Amino acid sequence: MKYALVTGGSRGIGRAICVKLAEMGHYIIINFASNTEEAEKTLAMVREKGGDGEIMKFNVGNQSEVETMLGGWLEKNPDKCIEVLVNNAGIKKDQLLMWMSNDEWNSVLDTNLGGFFNVTRLIIKGMLVKKYGRVVNVVSLSGLKGLPGQTNYSASKAGVIGATKALSQEVGRRNITVNAVAPGFIKTDMTEGINEKDFKQLIPMARFGTSEEVAEAVGFLASEKASYITGQVLSVNGGLYS
Amino acid sequence: MTQAEIIEKINEFLVEEFEVDAAKIVPDANLRETLELDSLDYVDLVVIIESNFGFKVVAEDFINIHTFQNFYDYINRKVEEKNATA
Repeated sequence: MKYALVTGGSRGIGRAICVKLAEMGHYIIINFASNTEEAEKTLAMVREKGGDGEIMKFNVGNQSEVETMLGGWLEKNPDKCIEVLVNNAGIKKDQLLMWMSNDEWNSVLDTNLGGFFNVTRLIIKGMLVKKYGRVVNVVSLSGLKGLPGQTNYSASKAGVIGATKALSQEVGRRNITVNAVAPGFIKTDMTEGINEKDFKQLIPMARFGTSEEVAEAVGFLASEKASYITGQVLSVNGGLYS
Repeated sequence: MTQAEIIEKINEFLVEEFEVDAAKIVPDANLRETLELDSLDYVDLVVIIESNFGFKVVAEDFINIHTFQNFYDYINRKVEEKNATA
């Protein structure tokens, strides 16, 4: 059985990734922070695809929770190796920098960048032993281009992009690839407040993307076929920024 | 596992993993220089130790390991500690 862990898998892009990886034959560990009902729904969708999985509640930004929950699972299942890790969990708390509170800055950095560290550090060991692994980090256009009102979010995603490139060089020789996917404007809860009409003139493909379109890119980078691609950032943004 | 068995096992995987001439592995030789280890090679070394001997390795452990003898002593101590707590 091939195991995959998707953080922030209960909704939006994370959910679509869970479904895609299930289609590819993985057993899916669906991490979520708060919404059990939505996580259960994702699990049901995974099973509809003929796959299987389980839900696992922890906040990726909380180091001790990650160690207890995910570390506990790894200890209890020494024979199971998670060979695909998708770091997707993320939050945003938009504010102009001059008005940004400590909490708005710290919580976004802790979840989006700290979460990558807390989870990946635990998972990478098993991949190193197995000499195989796929790590895919879901970043953002915001981390490449920077978006006003998102200094915290842009910084966190740019941080993950740097970490992606560095880690890919640390583990490449053990057949582990580390890549990032950078979605542009995608129809999810996160972009709910954004009026598609106002933005679609800026997008060459003249529409927002879907979670499934992002999941396809993640699925490819998570597959054995993407065996010689590492340290890369693949934009899925309808041509908005390159 | 006796000390001699541990040493034999260590030498075996060092030769295999780092493609080093077995004759060069002598107790007083310098581990890092003999195996031509760069910082990324430590990833391999740690993985091999953990999967062969079943204890967790932390970066600080390597501070005082210079020679092969230091390395054998370290593994031996850790294996003994592990057995004592098991």
